[in-house]
Amino acid sequence: MYLYIYDSFLSEKKYTDLLIKIEKRLVDLGIKGRIARLSVLKNLKELVLDATKEGVHTIVAIGNSQTFAKVINVVADLDVTLGLIPVDNDNPIAKALGIPPKILACDTLASRIVKKIDLGKINNHYFINTAQIVNGDVVIEYNDFKVRPTTDKHLITLYNFATNEHSSMSSPVDGILEAVITPMKSSVFGHKKITQTVLPFTKIKIGSNQEDQVAILTDEQIIMKTPAEIEVVPQKLKIIVGPERQFV
Amino acid sequence: MAMFNKNQGMPTPKNIETIIGPSVKVQGDFKGEGDLIIEGILVGTLQTKNNLKIGENAVVEADIKANNAFISGKVKGDITVKGKLEIAGTAMIIGNIRAQIMSMESGALIQGQVSMPVGNISTEEGKPEIKKSHSENKEEKYLEKN
Repeated sequence: MYLYIYDSFLSEKKYTDLLIKIEKRLVDLGIKGRIARLSVLKNLKELVLDATKEGVHTIVAIGNSQTFAKVINVVADLDVTLGLIPVDNDNPIAKALGIPPKILACDTLASRIVKKIDLGKINNHYFINTAQIVNGDVVIEYNDFKVRPTTDKHLITLYNFATNEHSSMSSPVDGILEAVITPMKSSVFGHKKITQTVLPFTKIKIGSNQEDQVAILTDEQIIMKTPAEIEVVPQKLKIIVGPERQFV
Repeated sequence: MAMFNKNQGMPTPKNIETIIGPSVKVQGDFKGEGDLIIEGILVGTLQTKNNLKIGENAVVEADIKANNAFISGKVKGDITVKGKLEIAGTAMIIGNIRAQIMSMESGALIQGQVSMPVGNISTEEGKPEIKKSHSENKEEKYLEKN
């Protein structure tokens, strides 16, 4: 049995046509299921837990990257399969998983290629894609050594999987995360990127050198604070992927 | 996997596992399984089971153990290389070097002893530094017999 979770922003009128088309396609493919619309009054965790008790084995999140990030944190600890239908055309998580946007994603759901992928974990919060620190005066602690950026302006990105060709070689099925430190140097033409630092890891601690805590932004949604312990949780999430995915 | 050298430039991204860029300082005992490129500062010890490249602007204050190494930056510490060690003309090394095969460009500075043992060199901890090669063992057995 399927449960389709619509994010609250989909109640806007501009999405009505798209949702009708998606629902029609799901019926055509024979994978229709229950629909739950998120709102301020509905708790996502309760909704998913109730559904699994009633025999739902596939949860499908319809929305954007932030929707997926929210749902992943709820379903990661449950024995369910996750499906995604992105309503935006340029969704980085969907792209990496080979899921086409909008109605086409229904066909990917129906073909049901299920993969177990790694998740990153910051303290007790999961992330599927990246976690980022901008210009923070931080120390990255590995078991036996410490890494410290020496520039004022830099971007630290912790990748589970790479969403563009130039950043890292991360794969969500390798049991490893990657810390990529990108220094930003200002020039007449704006910011200039110089050689990145790429450090693979399974577990690190990030602390701050300054009195203030440094913010860590996960999957463009949740803000965590230093000190933080970050680790990979191998094969944590069962997810439906497309044939065009960026990993084996 | 191909050894890094100055003519090859940077290896292809698929071969790279760890890069310590010029804007980073690493302190402690760094142990790596894959290829390692250092362009920044490293203080402590450094060990990799694969290839190591120390770039022109890198500063390494550490005892180094690697399978193969290409050095064009500053190193203060002893270097043990199991296979081939290439030293570029821009390199400055203060420390002893042990390598089975070594090449050095003119202009490089070395302050320390250089030894090139005939047998295999071990870069793993707890193992004897030099193991006799297969041919050496054969030679010894032949001499004992006769």
